[in-house]
Amino acid sequence: MLLIALIVLGVLVLGLTAMIIIDMVKNHKKGQKYHLKEVMTAFLLILPAVVLSFFFVILPIFYSLGYAFTDFNLLKPNDINFVGFDNFKTLFLEFNQHGEFFLSIRNTAIFVVLVVPIQIIMALLLALFCNNKRRGTTIFKVCFFAPVAISLSVTAFLWLIILSPNPNGIMNSILHNFGIPAQDFLGNKNTVLIWMVIISAWQGCGYQMLIFLSALGNIRKDLYEAAAIDGANVFQKFFTITVPGLKPTMLYILITVFIGACRVLIQPMLLTGYQDRSVTISYYMYQQGFTYRHVGYSCAVALLMTIIIGTITLVQRKLLGEKKR
Amino acid sequence: MKKYLNDPNFVPAKRSKKKVVGSIIYYLVGSILSLLFIMPLLYMFSASTKGEEAIAFSNGTIMMFLPDFKNILHFFDNYRIVFGQYDIWKYALNSMIYAAIVIVFNVIVNGLAGYVLAKFNFPGKGFFNFIILFLIVVPVETSIIPLYSIVKQMLGLKGGLSVLAVILPSIISIFNIFLFTQFFASIPKEYEEAMHIDGASRVRVFFDLILPMSKPIVATTAVFTFIGVWNDYIWPSMVLPNYGDDSWPLLPIQAALTSLQSIESITTGEIMASLVITSLPIFILYIAAQKYIVKGFGTAGLKM
Amino acid sequence: MKKLVLPALMAALLLTGCKAIGGGSADYSDNSKLKIRFHVDAKSAEGMAYKKLVDGFNKEYASQGMRVTASFVARSAGDSNYEKQLNTDKLEGTLPDIITFDAPNCAAYAEAEYLYDISSYLSAEEKAKFITLNSYQGKTYGIPIQESSAGFYYNKALFAQAGINVSGITVDNPWTYDQFKAACAKLKALSGITAVDMRMDATKDETATYLLYPFIYASGGSFVDETGKIATGYFNSNGSKRGFQFLKDLVDLQYTNYGIGATDFFTGKVGMYLSSGWTIPDLDNKYPTTFPNRDAWGLLPYPKDVIAASANGSWSYAVTDNLRKDKSAVVTLLKYLTNANGSKTVTDATGMIPANKEVNTQYGTNSPEDVLYQQLQKTGKQRPETVGYPQFSVAFRGVIDGLRDGNVSTLVDNKAAALQNELNKL
Repeated sequence: MLLIALIVLGVLVLGLTAMIIIDMVKNHKKGQKYHLKEVMTAFLLILPAVVLSFFFVILPIFYSLGYAFTDFNLLKPNDINFVGFDNFKTLFLEFNQHGEFFLSIRNTAIFVVLVVPIQIIMALLLALFCNNKRRGTTIFKVCFFAPVAISLSVTAFLWLIILSPNPNGIMNSILHNFGIPAQDFLGNKNTVLIWMVIISAWQGCGYQMLIFLSALGNIRKDLYEAAAIDGANVFQKFFTITVPGLKPTMLYILITVFIGACRVLIQPMLLTGYQDRSVTISYYMYQQGFTYRHVGYSCAVALLMTIIIGTITLVQRKLLGEKKR
Repeated sequence: MKKYLNDPNFVPAKRSKKKVVGSIIYYLVGSILSLLFIMPLLYMFSASTKGEEAIAFSNGTIMMFLPDFKNILHFFDNYRIVFGQYDIWKYALNSMIYAAIVIVFNVIVNGLAGYVLAKFNFPGKGFFNFIILFLIVVPVETSIIPLYSIVKQMLGLKGGLSVLAVILPSIISIFNIFLFTQFFASIPKEYEEAMHIDGASRVRVFFDLILPMSKPIVATTAVFTFIGVWNDYIWPSMVLPNYGDDSWPLLPIQAALTSLQSIESITTGEIMASLVITSLPIFILYIAAQKYIVKGFGTAGLKM
Repeated sequence: MKKLVLPALMAALLLTGCKAIGGGSADYSDNSKLKIRFHVDAKSAEGMAYKKLVDGFNKEYASQGMRVTASFVARSAGDSNYEKQLNTDKLEGTLPDIITFDAPNCAAYAEAEYLYDISSYLSAEEKAKFITLNSYQGKTYGIPIQESSAGFYYNKALFAQAGINVSGITVDNPWTYDQFKAACAKLKALSGITAVDMRMDATKDETATYLLYPFIYASGGSFVDETGKIATGYFNSNGSKRGFQFLKDLVDLQYTNYGIGATDFFTGKVGMYLSSGWTIPDLDNKYPTTFPNRDAWGLLPYPKDVIAASANGSWSYAVTDNLRKDKSAVVTLLKYLTNANGSKTVTDATGMIPANKEVNTQYGTNSPEDVLYQQLQKTGKQRPETVGYPQFSVAFRGVIDGLRDGNVSTLVDNKAAALQNELNKL
């Protein structure tokens, strides 16, 4: 264990040294100079963060990525063998046979595609709703934020009662008034993901609302006044001033919501348990690693997931990001 | 009245009918939306005032969101039991202490890192920025397994030192470094340069100038760090010992709660009472810091 | 302040570094110091009973210089939590001498060498004292702390209203599937009443598996072969399908459904409720309106098809396979914990059934406790002994959940294939 830690440390130091040399050479060409004192202070001040993140963030990640190439069983820590790409072969086989891994990817993809726009639009609407000088908006802001702060097990328990397939369940009683027959919202494979999306968006959008509010506050008020003088209506103002003003924040929100959505785990766990219709990649990974004790295999899933999420995030940044000023 | 004369936003007191109707609709919609969002809170609170049977009979009806008024004399029975019998105040105090320590160090350690990345000119900066972005993207669910071994085997944080196993990993937050970097980068250079002329060291500049100027981001990271530490239960219950003797317990509140919830004789009302108690500090802190949080995210998106 | 922060942090890190080098491990050559770990919260009634036992042992064996220290790790906070600690203890050689474990994990823990084979320490006479023992491949690895069984709690008022007579149904003379369905039909005829809560929605944790697996055995089905690694042909055998089909019939005939509220039985909306012995204290104490006393409810055994089968299995004590070579002191402790007094101390706190038959249990004939006790001795069937137990349980719950809209045969075949796929990874 210590040996691997030293190797990781070595690689990181090597990478850093290489970057330092490259930077120095570049700088030298430009004729600029680093101040030794500033550089020393910089490294000293960043040291605590570096030490802590090495032990508690980087090292665990490297270990877990390394486990992807072993047969690590949670119960047999003394017997870890290197198995090369075996875990990945099994994964691809399972994907091809449309097994649980395939289903988990399909479900996660559907979930992400739906939840990202819905949650962002909900957050934006709430932010626009709260973004005025009326009295009492603070109370609204606190209310909208409430689900973010409350334990997911309580909210899931509550939603399970609301969405009970029983004809007397709360949601079914409401639908009954509109003449819609009783539904098994979470039991039906066609609707379970939609409800997971609704619940997740409801639960999380308060957080993004705050960020949007923050960005809305930064848009200059005189732009709106100028537009009003030009006779622009609400929609024109929204699309010509608000939307461009929110663009930098939007990318940040898009990326964080996207990453969060790809890692959805607790919702299916508490709402349906491990079932084909709702299993997500994170849940599959959790199940393999913690319930079935196949840590190695589970880490292989984690590695694949990292690659997928990372690639999509980079593409998002490339497509939507601002050009460097 | 004179002060209004120069105010361009001044609106005459007499409101038009249209405005009044608009306000009514606004507050109506706002209230309905708010209800949708505080549903779980209402449920938690109402259930916390009821006995097991009352909860059973109200499940699935509108009464599940309303307290049991017939029971008004025994409203806080569950709270009494939770405080008296299960000592949850001890665990709450533990959580407060953990959170306080973590927040202070979190702001200092990550703040300094953000400060360095935003304001210093040194070789290798790109490397750190790359690592930060990489770490934000990587899923960490499986890393809890090696993290446990690192903490217990490599660093030997066992017995009394287990407390450090709870605190140290929570101090570092890559995401907070990112937020700090963004915020500090938006502070104009001139402020700092002014202080440099005074001959203050960069460390002093950070504590005397940068941090006081950055209340929004400090408040934001502090609140979210608090929520994180306060709500975390898996990790603390993994690393902290629980000997069941009469010494002061080490567990923070959420870990203690999940443990308490496994007690067969505990009632739903008591669980809900304990959940209400544990949610309260988060709301108080959030409301107190609200004004700053809204500003704190203002710079988050600039350079993603 | 600011000058102190960095040095303080560095000091903290250094301190931890030093600790790593000096990290002491337990001394297993000294037989006077033993360690034990329990899976419940120390403040729960069960936890306090364990503490009482440990204190009792320390007092009684003080003269021989023996002392045991207990620690408590509530299993509730994440399933893997308890196992992760076992794993690190194993790696470091600091496993407590006795641990508690959930019965279905016996095979996996034995295979991974966490448990010590105690067969040779127990005489045939001693073994016969217990209703069940935890064994894997013929070796004994654990002694149950207490026993649990399950059955159908029923609302006597509703049964009277529907005109159902169950006085003749006992463990020795259980009802058949057809009698069970007939009773359901009568209950369903009452307005606003659901006949039976089969806990079809309890698939998020082990509950559904624990309560429903006996139906498969009762119909002549099975789950895995003797090695525990082959599911195809067992999990989806005709007998198994017959058992699952019975459950599906109950859903299709609308005798049960997936939307029964967790408390509906307790508020008088459901006729029968499948649950374990832990429901007895709830019925005794928590719902005075529907169930003021024991005249208002009763407990019926599992119905029988080809054979009679009922659920069993709870947590057990095990001696661990740690670095201590001389197990004599540990076995002394194990025997102290599982003797009549030890067994009674725990079950007095939990209300479950003593694992040791020597405990004087005076249950009234056909009282709920008596039904469970008799079932354990006469029809109890253990959950399958397999290293891949969690995989089995997930597949089983997948079938239960899928019965709402699937064809039984295809569903069971699919899940058997998925289970086999997972077992192959072992």
